[in-house]
Amino acid sequence: MSQEIMEFLKPRVGARFKMWLNICAHCGLCANTCHYYTANDNDPKMIPSYKIRFLKEILRKKGKVDRDYLQRVYETVYYECNMCRRCTLYCPFAIDIALMISLLRALLFSQGIAPEGLVRAIENYKKFGNQMAVTDEDWVETIEWCEEETAEELVGLKIPIDKKGAKLLYTVNAREPMFYPQDMMEVAKIFHVAGEDYTYCSKPGWDDTNLSMFCGDLKTSKMIVENTFKRAEELEVKQVAITE
Amino acid sequence: MDFFSFVEGPLLWIAFLIFIIGSLIRVATFVSLSTKKDKIIYQHFSWKYVFATLVRWILPLNKDLVKNPVFSILGYIFHICLIVVPIWYAGHITLWEESRFEWSWSSIPDGLADWMTLIFLAIAIFFLLRRIFSPGIRLISAFSDYLLLIVTALPFLTGYFLTHGTLDGIGFWGDNMQLFHMLSAELMLILIPFTKLSHYILFFFSRGASGVEFGRRGYSI
Repeated sequence: MSQEIMEFLKPRVGARFKMWLNICAHCGLCANTCHYYTANDNDPKMIPSYKIRFLKEILRKKGKVDRDYLQRVYETVYYECNMCRRCTLYCPFAIDIALMISLLRALLFSQGIAPEGLVRAIENYKKFGNQMAVTDEDWVETIEWCEEETAEELVGLKIPIDKKGAKLLYTVNAREPMFYPQDMMEVAKIFHVAGEDYTYCSKPGWDDTNLSMFCGDLKTSKMIVENTFKRAEELEVKQVAITE
Repeated sequence: MDFFSFVEGPLLWIAFLIFIIGSLIRVATFVSLSTKKDKIIYQHFSWKYVFATLVRWILPLNKDLVKNPVFSILGYIFHICLIVVPIWYAGHITLWEESRFEWSWSSIPDGLADWMTLIFLAIAIFFLLRRIFSPGIRLISAFSDYLLLIVTALPFLTGYFLTHGTLDGIGFWGDNMQLFHMLSAELMLILIPFTKLSHYILFFFSRGASGVEFGRRGYSI
């Protein structure tokens, strides 16, 4: 496992990471900028500078760490930091702790350690192009159903799908067609009344969430964004709008 | 050549060369590695954000001053004394004038240098106590953090003893204060490139890199 860990880290630990791990003066100015620190009665273990000790240790041990160790890393990088980057704003050297936490999350993911929900979402992205495993047929059917329902209230309302040359490509959170179609209906009403020139796309690219980013799975992350860009280019829209 | 002449001559050369060449290597390593592995810095490079962030943190115009006023102000004074006293102390300048370089520049009054030394030492002691007694800071402190603080303070302590003859005639330590002063300063110079003290130069690159990273998202840090 140690070899795999080093193979993963080597190309990814760049000049900045090396410099930061070396020059952090352990001054503690980041401590009270962290909401995990203040919300836990100033628990010293929550000091951002302390949380990245794992990266330093793993590199020093040349990846020779066991599963229990990685589990401890998991507890810290997922449940004691949400990569908000506030500590960086107060660090005299502007050390980007969140970037290092993100790398640790990516390392854990490469070793098969990640929150279950995220892993499931990533499988869905890869298979269906959205996090909720909505098929293309179900997606289009949901839009059509929304249109029918809403048109009863606002006569003449249309929800455009794959309209070429529209001004906006509107994207949603995949939870909306799955659990909250009423959100899509409300938006349809607003767009209709405002006379906005918009469209949905029928093929993958309509889900604007990017959960794979949270475990550092940049490959899937990239695929998700590329899908949206592909659709935007195909439909020749001017802008992409994302749901609230 | 006796030990004193060695410390006064060759070792001083060695210390300065390690300090200068070592620092240059640290910078060169960062630049060459970052062009390969941190391309994002160069793809989005903007002097505007780099300059803004450096000015904010070199001058006390930053968020820390509001968030942690005591530590920030002490930190600024600490660094000002650390830079000003060794370079502009009249006794040091005399040595430069007598050296083969014959360099000379104006000095600060000795009284001011004295006060700055004492203030520096007081802050250093405060930092040390903070490291020992503040639970958070103690947790994140490594052995090197204590060591380097002492290494940084020693030249000032010995310098003060030397100029005031505080310990003169008191045994081995008192009689060799000039030796200890030079040795402690040389130790610090030698350690700079290999430790976190290299932040004296890498500060600019670290802040610059993050300045670009935040700047490309339209936020000037």
